[in-house]
Amino acid sequence: MQGWVRASRVLALVEHDGHHVLFVFLSSRVPPQTFSDLTIERLLPIDADFRCEIDPDSKHQDGVDVYVNISSRKLKLLFELVPGVKTSNFVGEIFRAIEVFTKRRGPPPDFHWLQKYTGNMSRDMLPESSLAEVESEALQQSEEQQDDSLSSTLLDLECADITVPRQSIAKGTTPIAARESVIRYQMAMKEHHYTYTQVLRIFIGTWNVNGQPPTVSLHDWLAGDPEPPDIYAIGFQELDLSKEAFLFNDTPREEEWQAAVINSLHPKARYRKVSLVRLVGMMLLVFVQEQHVAYVRGIAYETVGTGIMGKMGNKGGVAVRFDLHSTSLCFVNSHLAAHVEEFERRNQDFHDICSRMSFTRFLPPKGIKDHDHIYWLGDLNYRITELDPKLVKECIEQANYQPVLECDQLRQQHKQQTVFVGYKEGIINFRPTYKYDPGTDTWDSSEKNRAPAWCDRVLWKGEGIEQVSYRSHPELKISDHKPVSALFDSQIRVIDAVKYRRIHEEVMKKLDKLENEFLPQVMVDNTEVVFDTLRFLESQCKDLIIANTGQVPVTFEFIKKLDDSSYCKDWLNIEPFAGFIMPGEKCDIKLEVFVDKKSAFKLNSGEDKLYDILVLHLEGGKDIFITVTGTYERSCFGSSIEALVYISVPVREIPVGRLMELENSKEISSTQDPYPIPKEIWFLVDHLYRHGLKQPHLFEQPGLHSELLQIRNWLDQGSPDPLPGCVHSVAEALLLLLESTAEPIVPYNLHNICLNASSNYIQCKQIIMQLPEHRKNVFLYLCAFLQEVLSHTNENGLDAKTVATLFGTIFLRDPPRSRGDLTSRVRTNQQALDRKKANFVYHFLVNDQSDFILGR
Amino acid sequence: MAREYDHLFKLLIIGDSGVGKSSLLLRFADNTFSGSYITTIGVDFKIRTVEIDGERVKLQIWDTAGQERFRTITSTYYRGTHGVIIVYDVTSGDSFANVKRWLHEIEQNCDVVNKILVGNKNDAPDRKVVLTEDAQRFASQMNVQLFETSAKDNINVEEMFMAITRQVLRTKKERKERQAIHSNETVNLRKSNKQSKKKCC
Repeated sequence: MQGWVRASRVLALVEHDGHHVLFVFLSSRVPPQTFSDLTIERLLPIDADFRCEIDPDSKHQDGVDVYVNISSRKLKLLFELVPGVKTSNFVGEIFRAIEVFTKRRGPPPDFHWLQKYTGNMSRDMLPESSLAEVESEALQQSEEQQDDSLSSTLLDLECADITVPRQSIAKGTTPIAARESVIRYQMAMKEHHYTYTQVLRIFIGTWNVNGQPPTVSLHDWLAGDPEPPDIYAIGFQELDLSKEAFLFNDTPREEEWQAAVINSLHPKARYRKVSLVRLVGMMLLVFVQEQHVAYVRGIAYETVGTGIMGKMGNKGGVAVRFDLHSTSLCFVNSHLAAHVEEFERRNQDFHDICSRMSFTRFLPPKGIKDHDHIYWLGDLNYRITELDPKLVKECIEQANYQPVLECDQLRQQHKQQTVFVGYKEGIINFRPTYKYDPGTDTWDSSEKNRAPAWCDRVLWKGEGIEQVSYRSHPELKISDHKPVSALFDSQIRVIDAVKYRRIHEEVMKKLDKLENEFLPQVMVDNTEVVFDTLRFLESQCKDLIIANTGQVPVTFEFIKKLDDSSYCKDWLNIEPFAGFIMPGEKCDIKLEVFVDKKSAFKLNSGEDKLYDILVLHLEGGKDIFITVTGTYERSCFGSSIEALVYISVPVREIPVGRLMELENSKEISSTQDPYPIPKEIWFLVDHLYRHGLKQPHLFEQPGLHSELLQIRNWLDQGSPDPLPGCVHSVAEALLLLLESTAEPIVPYNLHNICLNASSNYIQCKQIIMQLPEHRKNVFLYLCAFLQEVLSHTNENGLDAKTVATLFGTIFLRDPPRSRGDLTSRVRTNQQALDRKKANFVYHFLVNDQSDFILGR
Repeated sequence: MAREYDHLFKLLIIGDSGVGKSSLLLRFADNTFSGSYITTIGVDFKIRTVEIDGERVKLQIWDTAGQERFRTITSTYYRGTHGVIIVYDVTSGDSFANVKRWLHEIEQNCDVVNKILVGNKNDAPDRKVVLTEDAQRFASQMNVQLFETSAKDNINVEEMFMAITRQVLRTKKERKERQAIHSNETVNLRKSNKQSKKKCC
């Protein structure tokens, strides 16, 4: 996910010497074909700062892409992975690598081996501080460095939405992924815009009470400061040293000490308990001021025992975590392994607590490291071993702590990065807290004569935490330890509800805008296509250019509108009527209008006009209307016999309205008597009679298109010249004239009756007798002419069967059928029908019709 | 479980050619305005997601060609519409007079649908010919809400779209409630059926 839109990356988990790094590659081809297709974009070492979470939305939905949030330092990345075994294995391996890291011993890996990969990469590809962890003393400096990398990272990611990877979008990938994940990711990216920091005073206290009951007031320890802290985290160790406490994890001391703490919280503020967690003698209490309670969420606590058998609760840690506003906090109270020399055991305990402390109410479970602010307190038990106890005590008496601190095991181990890596500790300016004779401020007077030590410590990890004080409280004397407290001013990120809403709205608007921008867009060069005067059988073409002006590929199609059976009228042809256009490219569409025998009669009668609105539909987008218009010039072709017999002049000489009137009225009113047959038929037949009787292949050989047009003009306009064209063209014109009418000579309603009667000449004759006057005339006239033609069989080679078959399909034209009929009709069936038609006509070609014609 | 949206509504903008239907949509969806007039030849849509009382509503807003010659085709796009925005131009009396025809068009093509009446181009008082009172009287008669907007000066556009969205949302919720009551009744009936059966046995 690059900014707002998807971009392809290849991920690889690389293991070297037990350490893992996630490589993010750019690939010039998807999927990559060879290694040279890949360039390293980023390297994300899997270390303490590496986090990987499955987006909570995606994992509940089957079949939906898996969204994985990966963050490393301030870098936040969102990956969309195709669901499946490969993905779950890969993510599983990442989780395993994280686990390997947390369970590892020794100083953090330096990842020096990555340098050979980073050589030709720009500086910011590798999160800056990953190669060298900067430790406590260099606190200020390291924070500045991190700020630098933070700003450059944010800049980088915010620029991403300007450079939308149009190429990959053009390849047809949906540009915007699941909105919810993108919104969450974008809101996380913009967190600093809608949050502000609020500095809260945090009190951390730790005390090993050596099994003593609270017989004294804790006021001096907990409420000695003038101002009340916002949060208290108070840890105890050795709350109860009894066997019962150890074996049954049950002790009355819990209640006693809790009450003592509550009684001694700062009187200037009201507190609410967030959580109490106890494991045997380790107890952690967390309180927040009432004013903050409403902003505390996600409270969880957990315990880890590292004592006997590595599991028991005599040693270990207890932790409480919660979110305050939008900062996550974790408090850990631990009691690490005892005994002077056992610092390695203590290190081990620390690592065990880190790796085993798991807040399982979250998915995936959160560990200690998955928090913005971590406070670690407790009896850590690190001692002073390299100095003579006497010398130690002397230095301490002079308040000269520095030489002693040099020998503090925790300081030494911390410096060696074997424990508390990434944690900081403030400067110790108080006497060691262990070991005293209870009830006194004097060092332990027992035989052991050990050096006093700073067993009780407070460390922290996280940004925006400033220690205000770090001290011990020797006034509390009931234990052999002195309590310790630390005060912090911590920057808590607070969500500004108004700003949050505004930015959330902006993010939504931006996504909406993108979604709108990624809708298919085209420009059509002409939405009103006007054709010139169009004549029968003469085609005209116009081009239309559809240009993809949008950012995504367009699939277009001319679609049907309303209840139409086709996307355009039958006199129009669109080529191509559907297609696919890449962004920036165009497609030429050819519109061809052509009026033939099928569409002429509708245009002649005014039932149809040369007018159509085409709907150009873009898949997933808009519809564009394209109007096609033109003027059709009326012709005798397409005119009905009934109309033509009333027209004594060429068709074009009568007004438009008159022709329509003739076509549409059943009772024709006319001052003049109609012709027995249309004059046009007579002209054509007469011409054939004169010139074509002996013509071989008459009616079989097609005419010339140009001559057909000349004949059409001659008939429609009238001319003193003789009828143009060769015999074959005239013959075809005759057939066309008969075929262009709305109904054939034998009307559709008699069609089936004729077919059924086709074997019986008498019946056939009776049907013809019933035909309307002018149709009957035309039928008999043409049959008589055809008999004449057949009387010249010797010359023209025609036979009655052939002629009957041809004219059968014309006199008895099939009624228009719906598509369903067409597919269901079997071809042999059609042949049988055609044979019946031919039989019908055949009777009239071979029998003498003179009595018939004379009306007997 | 989070979804992209809680509701998906289809809104339709109709009205005479040139009253500013596309401009209203452009203002609402992209917050832009173009002074040059490009007549819509076809049907276009844009989306916008809004939040109403914490619920996310995704609007798919269809802008139609207003020209008379396209009326029969555009009427097919009324199907499945949740809300119709009827727009007239406050500087054109004819466009206001035609609102009745558009209302009729809705009746012909939609079942129950939420409507809102919008007088656009309400940014030049000297050219205004459709008085607010007249429009308001008509709107009250027709029982629709009236908004006077200016896509150009971004006046009332957001409010108008939010108002129709609220209406649609309210209608949806009322229908759901009715259904809930209805289904309760059915459950009760079934129960009584069972009881009576038992009695028979």
